[in-house]
Amino acid sequence: MKMSFRRIVIGLFAAALLCLPNLAGAADSWNLPDEEEDRFDATVKDVLCVLSGDCPPDCGAGKRVLGLLKADGELVLPIKNGGPFTGAGVDLLPHCGKIVTADGLFSTNYGVKTFAIQYIKPAGGKWHRTNGFVKQWAGEHGLAAKDKKARRWFRNDETILEIIGEQGKLGLKDKGIEP
Amino acid sequence: MRKLKHFVFGAAALALAVFLAAPAQAGQARRVTVTGEIIDPWCYLSEIMWATGSAHHQCAIWCARGGIPVGILGDDEQVYIVLMMENDPDVIGHHGILRMQTNQIVVEGDLYERNGIKYLAIDSIIDDHGIVNFSHEEFDIQPFGD
Repeated sequence: MKMSFRRIVIGLFAAALLCLPNLAGAADSWNLPDEEEDRFDATVKDVLCVLSGDCPPDCGAGKRVLGLLKADGELVLPIKNGGPFTGAGVDLLPHCGKIVTADGLFSTNYGVKTFAIQYIKPAGGKWHRTNGFVKQWAGEHGLAAKDKKARRWFRNDETILEIIGEQGKLGLKDKGIEP
Repeated sequence: MRKLKHFVFGAAALALAVFLAAPAQAGQARRVTVTGEIIDPWCYLSEIMWATGSAHHQCAIWCARGGIPVGILGDDEQVYIVLMMENDPDVIGHHGILRMQTNQIVVEGDLYERNGIKYLAIDSIIDDHGIVNFSHEEFDIQPFGD
C-alpha cells in the first residue's frame, strides 16, 4: 500500500514536470469566433513600416500599431493582450525588431484574422503574461499592478474620465442625451 | 560576346529578383475614400459584447486609451485598421482619436491589404458627422450597463 502511494506521488510529480513547459505560456480559451490556440516565432515590427517602408528606428516608441512578422511573410495583428481593455503595444515594444515567441489565440470573424497575445517569450528568455499596459499604468500612478484601482484602470484613468465627463458615457451629452 | 550575354542574363535575373522581393518589403497602396464608424475592432471582431454605436462609446474609449488599435467599420461592412490619422502615425492612445470614437466619418487615404486585413493610412478627414448610431436605445451601455 505504502509503495503504491509513493508511486502515485512520484507519477504525479513526473507528470507535473512534463507539463511545466506547456503551463508556462499555454493559451487560455476565450471562446472567440473561430478560435485557434497557437504558439509561433515572429519578429516584432511596426505595421506601417512593413507596409509602406516608413520605418522609425524604435517602432514608433509605442505610438504606432505593432505587428508580428513571421518568417514566411505572414503579418499577424496582435490586437489584444491579456489585460482588461488593453492592447499589446507595451508588451511588444521592448522587443522591436527582435524575434519573440508569441502564445495566444487567433480568431477569425467577418473575414478578418487577428491575434490575442496572452504570453510572450523573448529569444533565450522567460515566458511573461502580457499585462504590460496595466503594469505601466500602475507604475505611473504609484500603485502595484494587483491594486484594485490598477485592475480597474479604465474606471480611474484621468484622460478617460475627462473625455467621458465632456461627452457622456453614450457620447451624446452635446445632444442632451445621457444615461 | 559570351561575357556580354552572361552580363545581360545576370542583370535580368537581378532585376526580376528585385521586382519579386519588393512586394514582401512594402506593399502597394490604393487611394480610397471610406465612410464609416470609428470602432474598437477588438470588441467588434471578438463579439464579446455589442460593439458599435452609442452603447459602446465608453468602452471604445477605454480600449483606445488602453492601446488597442482603432478601426473603422465601413458602410461597405469592411473593417479597416487605422495606421495613420491625418498623416500622423502616432495613433495608439492618441487623445484626438479617443475623442472621435463612435463618430461617423468620411476619410481619404492609402489602403494596404495584408493577410486578409485592411489597413488604412488616413491623410484627410473629409467629414465628421458625430455619433449617428444610437445603439444604446436597444443595448443600453456595453459592457456592465454603467
